[in-house]
Amino acid sequence: MAEDLNWAIGGEAGDGIDSTGKIFAQALSRAGRHVFTSKDFASRIRGGYTAYKIRTSVDRVQSVVDRLDILVALTQRTIDENLDELHEGSAVIYDGERSWEADIPDEMTAVDVPLKSLAEEAGGAIMRNIVALGAACKITGFDVEYLDEALEKRFGGKGSKIVENNKEAARLGQEYVEENYDLEHLGYNVDVTDNDYVLLNGNEAIGMGAIAAGCRFYAGYPITPATSIMEYLTGRIEDYGGHVVQAEDELSAINMALGAARSGARSMTATSGAGIDLMTETFGLVATSETPLVITDVQRSGPSTGMPTKQEQGDLNMALYGGHGEVPRFVLTPTSIDECFWKTIEAFNLAEKYQTPVFLVSDLAMSVTEQTFEPETFDMDAVEIDRGKLVDEDEVDEWLDAQGHFRAHAVTEDGVSPRAIPGTTDAAHMSTGLEHDELGRRTEEEDERVQQVDKRYRKVETAQNEENWDYREFGDEDAENLIISWGSNEGALVEALGYLEDDGIDVRVISVPYIFPRPDLSDDIEAAEEVIVVECNATGQFADLIEHDVLTRVKRINKYTGVRFKADELAEQITEQLSEEVPA
Amino acid sequence: MSSDVRFTDFKSDKQPTWCPGCGDFGTMNGMMKALAETGNDPDNTFVVAGIGCSGKIGTYMHSYALHGVHGRALPVGTGVKMARPDIEVMVAGGDGDGYSIGAGHFVHAVRRNVDMSYVVMDNRIYGLTKGQASPTSRSDFETSTTPEGPKQPPVNPLALALASGASFIAQSFASDALRHQEIVQEAIEHDGFGFVNVFSPCVTFNDVDTYDYFRENLVDLQEEDHDPNDYEAAKEVITSSDKEYQGVMYKDENSVPYHEQHGVTEDMSEIPDGAPEDAMDLVREFY
Ligand SMILES: Cc1ncc(C[n+]2csc(CCOP(=O)(O)OP(=O)(O)O)c2C)c(N)n1
Ligand code: SF4
Repeated sequence: MAEDLNWAIGGEAGDGIDSTGKIFAQALSRAGRHVFTSKDFASRIRGGYTAYKIRTSVDRVQSVVDRLDILVALTQRTIDENLDELHEGSAVIYDGERSWEADIPDEMTAVDVPLKSLAEEAGGAIMRNIVALGAACKITGFDVEYLDEALEKRFGGKGSKIVENNKEAARLGQEYVEENYDLEHLGYNVDVTDNDYVLLNGNEAIGMGAIAAGCRFYAGYPITPATSIMEYLTGRIEDYGGHVVQAEDELSAINMALGAARSGARSMTATSGAGIDLMTETFGLVATSETPLVITDVQRSGPSTGMPTKQEQGDLNMALYGGHGEVPRFVLTPTSIDECFWKTIEAFNLAEKYQTPVFLVSDLAMSVTEQTFEPETFDMDAVEIDRGKLVDEDEVDEWLDAQGHFRAHAVTEDGVSPRAIPGTTDAAHMSTGLEHDELGRRTEEEDERVQQVDKRYRKVETAQNEENWDYREFGDEDAENLIISWGSNEGALVEALGYLEDDGIDVRVISVPYIFPRPDLSDDIEAAEEVIVVECNATGQFADLIEHDVLTRVKRINKYTGVRFKADELAEQITEQLSEEVPA
Repeated sequence: MSSDVRFTDFKSDKQPTWCPGCGDFGTMNGMMKALAETGNDPDNTFVVAGIGCSGKIGTYMHSYALHGVHGRALPVGTGVKMARPDIEVMVAGGDGDGYSIGAGHFVHAVRRNVDMSYVVMDNRIYGLTKGQASPTSRSDFETSTTPEGPKQPPVNPLALALASGASFIAQSFASDALRHQEIVQEAIEHDGFGFVNVFSPCVTFNDVDTYDYFRENLVDLQEEDHDPNDYEAAKEVITSSDKEYQGVMYKDENSVPYHEQHGVTEDMSEIPDGAPEDAMDLVREFY
């Protein structure tokens, strides 16, 4: 039997799938088990198939796999959708009393539990999912006490009656299975440990990173899958003296964030696809006015409204090239949930140090996936804040011209000008999206134009030299097969290494968290025999960049079905690619 | 700086490139005087300007300022005010900037009641792009893009503001210097969104809504015993189509600005050197 356990609950949107899954994930995490969750959801509120999957193990897990051990099916569709992941040892929990007859293949164990009746017995039909969780605990031998703890956490705010009812529901589910089934033969073993983990998703990590980094102002407009960043910050950022505005649209959101940033607040906006398009108008203004701003793009499947609830990494070109004219920017691409936290902090520091917009590019898979971490992974004491050349009253003099005007866009060697925020005496100045001189005033003088363009790009050069544009590395350092990837594919790749190793294939994985500037991979690529770039898009936007950088053709693995890479699937595709010729 | 601030301190040393006689000169003078008169100085003032002839105002004034993209000045002003409740925020632009491309933002800035003043230089034409119809152009006003007139009724910005829940609505005339200044001053002093639509004639492209036209047709509400606290009366003057009014049409004395309603009091520019002291609580929440 596999050491890790793969559990899922599926039904119709509106069935409480998400919160049930989350409760179970929390129970497992409390039991000191590692958890990795994934969600299948449709873009509608009621109706439409939705599922929450959990992979759990005593060891670290960071990918989904093509395997399901226990499935709580609230609809037949749940079974049909997951059929190819079910296996002989799988158990399917369903409610035979309800008006559907589950069609479960013979080789699987059908566990018919009267979810609704038992829930009603415990206090209300709404708890039928909790009954199912109790049943799942029994099947897997998982101590229901952890589930109780998770229920307390979840429902504690709603009063002890609700908590007790839910606990009762779980207990009834457990007892029912105990009395009616003998499932010892399934042999599931859900060990607990003494470890304390925290369980969070990528968007929560971004929100937490933002607060840790001193972000005080956030403006956004709801869009899947970015909204949960706004939801996280609302209700928390206030505790730190900040505020969230739900703007009327993305044009407004980015302009509000720009206004707050110019006033000296660390400020952020987040959106996805279509919202980024709207923000692009102001993006150039942010860059030419040299305003520090973090713009988060949680990518989803495009173009246009595309597949709003599906995974894709298709906005790379937008982040790199979006907007008219030429403006410098940084593009950061966290590769894991913990990196969502750290890269957000870095994004704020880079934005202020270089007075430049920073794109923080995440993706849907990462945003909805919860994963367990040691709490120290988010060590707040290690957070450093660098506000760059923010000048105070005493430093203003250095930057005044002969007439006493503050040179807000002073041409400097490193390309970075002094920054004064409103209220700083004698530093009043204006900024504009028009080309401007050192004082921020409109100019069409050839020399001044060239100086300002050069100055803005010099910031990138400076940053290129001063900052660490590193990559993350996994696998066999000396392997002749090199896999390069960016964004959330890292976890699946790292796990794929295990499968490949079993097949005797040595692979080195480079996972790149910076797209611009990006690490120079030419030596690594030259040293490798085979190079494959893995990404969730159809055209290979990152592969194009790599080819451009090193003038060498690379192989590509592209997935654009709307579903993230799975570890076992990736291993298979890599093996396949390695045996193929390099494309001409 | 303090009480000895003079309005010329708000003047930059850039010479305006507006056409001689443009209403924007008078509009700007009144704005600078109003700012000085209300005890502000360039170091604690933030002026956000739109795009258009009118939007150039940010260049000719001296203060902290941002000259943004077309139609988006109000959200910028909102961001400034939210981050810095201690800063005086003034937003300025044209009728095209504010009621056309920026109309959506206008409605929402009004209803948020952000504590800032918004001065729109309404010349009933697009000046900077050389004379096309604007949202406030008359329906029979012939322009390069509407040779037979726009054939659609003009937007009534005051009514739009009223319908959006405005707490302060006023109108002034650029060439009536004193009244214009007084009205802008009142907008600045208002706790909330102080909206002033200014008749600011374009002498180059609009030969209908001229200084003479306004001089002849303008009725001052002060002389009409209008009570700005009376909502019904405000509705009456705002929707009457046969007269052009100047003065404060509506003022909600109970107005509570957005940042106060949302409990925003702190200067958001000040942050700790590292993560906030109790930041580990944020992590603990995920146990
Ligand atoms: C996105 C965008 N579209 C169009 C323009 C061109 N444009 C510049 S000013 C302007 C109209 C200005 O009219 P108004 O706001 O009435 O100001 P005025 O020049 O009359 O003072 C337009 C359409 C632009 N700068 N940006
Ligand atoms: S074109 Fe009209 S609005 Fe523009 S500066 Fe000239 S007079 Fe003023």
